[in-house]
Amino acid sequence: MSMLEVKNLNCSYGNVQVLWDVSLEVKEAEIVALLGANGAGKTTLLNCITGLVKPTSGSISFLGESLLGTPGDKILEKGISYLPEGGRMFPEMSIRENLEMGAYPKGMWKNRNAQIERMFELFPKLKERQKQTASTLSGGEKQMLAMARGLMSGPKLCLFDELSYGLAPIMVNEVFKIVKMLRDNGITVLLVEQNVMQSMEIADRAYVLENGRISLEGRCADLINNDYVKKAYLGL
Amino acid sequence: MITVLNIIITGLIMGGIYALISMGLSLQYGVAKILNVSHGEFIMIAAMLTWVFVGLGIHPLLALVLCCPFTFCVGFLLHITIFRWLNINSGTAAAYESNAMLLCFGLYFIFSNIAMQIWGSNPVGFQFMEKSVNLGGAIIAVNKIIVLIIALAVSILFYLFLSHSRLGKSIRAASQDPVAAGMLGMNIKKIMAICFGIGAVLAGIAGTLISMYSQVNTGMGMGYTMIALIVVVLGGMGSIPGSMIGGMILGFVGSIFGYIEPSLSMVAYYLIILVLLLVKPKGLMGR
Repeated sequence: MSMLEVKNLNCSYGNVQVLWDVSLEVKEAEIVALLGANGAGKTTLLNCITGLVKPTSGSISFLGESLLGTPGDKILEKGISYLPEGGRMFPEMSIRENLEMGAYPKGMWKNRNAQIERMFELFPKLKERQKQTASTLSGGEKQMLAMARGLMSGPKLCLFDELSYGLAPIMVNEVFKIVKMLRDNGITVLLVEQNVMQSMEIADRAYVLENGRISLEGRCADLINNDYVKKAYLGL
Repeated sequence: MITVLNIIITGLIMGGIYALISMGLSLQYGVAKILNVSHGEFIMIAAMLTWVFVGLGIHPLLALVLCCPFTFCVGFLLHITIFRWLNINSGTAAAYESNAMLLCFGLYFIFSNIAMQIWGSNPVGFQFMEKSVNLGGAIIAVNKIIVLIIALAVSILFYLFLSHSRLGKSIRAASQDPVAAGMLGMNIKKIMAICFGIGAVLAGIAGTLISMYSQVNTGMGMGYTMIALIVVVLGGMGSIPGSMIGGMILGFVGSIFGYIEPSLSMVAYYLIILVLLLVKPKGLMGR
């Protein structure tokens, strides 16, 4: 079943068109990677999905229901959790408070403590340091906290923007392992990445975005052997 | 010894009022990004209203309760109307910040002049628990002690509200990263309007409290705005605990100079700011 469906999406900032006729589908319980270089339009596509940017034309639907016109602050309640690039933690709030904020919507707030305990099982490091402010965490730990905060609402779909950006290789492995585990637990993931090689390894399918257009799509197992992908993205 | 005691108690009372006022300004600037130079006018309006209420036979403490929803609504409505309109038309966040400050200057003139048209500019006042008690030798009016207790209680309650309640936490989150807060389901526009309203309430409470122990007039606002600005810079922009501590420090300085030479207290305030900005430019608790 299709969880997220983007059809013929066009988006412009002023006179500059950023997305051209982009179509993309994410099915339930799969990891889909959206790959591409800096400035290809990846984040703009995410911002369209989450209601932060208004597309000029096209449609976006989630579980068969149109998302267009849904304000950014209602997306989470629909079951979509968006992890922006860099995590965007609240630096002066404690780790525990940051997690609580992930369950801000009314229906979720009363279950926050049980959810936090679950997150601590998943990310034991956060439990030890729950009273410290988020600004004291290292880059990798911040990303862990960002993931935990994004999972607090029990989302159906996670949008991860540049999860591996700026992380040490060992942390990248760690973070990607968790993404895989999420999928195995039935959470659908749209992984937006510049790290092509490692994303292809964990994702089921991938789309390649170039200058605002989808240039390639397919199963990762096939794409990884594609000559163009090998040359342009994998440096082989 | 008795003099010292007097200075301490007066310092606590002034500090409590200053802390209240400054927390309000700090909230309005730190979250809603409005440097509200008309802050003192909310103090004045609440003080004058309390005087009117008491004239109608309402108890001052009941007037305090009545002023809270009134000042909140004025602040909230101002924010969702003209400030939101200004925000939409300002383009960038930086342009909005400076435009909002200019708008507040306009509000200052409008509020103070309307008030002067209605109530004139003579000092007014009422009698409220004027009996004195002897505290270890210092003679203090009961009304001042009540004012001190209410100011401290409101400050503590406000701090607990910010650190423990859902709305309070969302206010802090919105002040640190409004975009991320929006992604987590927080309605940023509403939170900012609530912050502006709460800032006005804190100013209003201070205004009512001031009217309980001293005379008030329609021109009193600007002086308190200046003090709140000094305290917010002293404590660190946007830091609520910083405003509490800064308010207390300024209260004590004001109390000491009030005893030595009252006309020098403003000079002392600015000297403190000058030294602090040289030593710790971000304020006592600045980020």
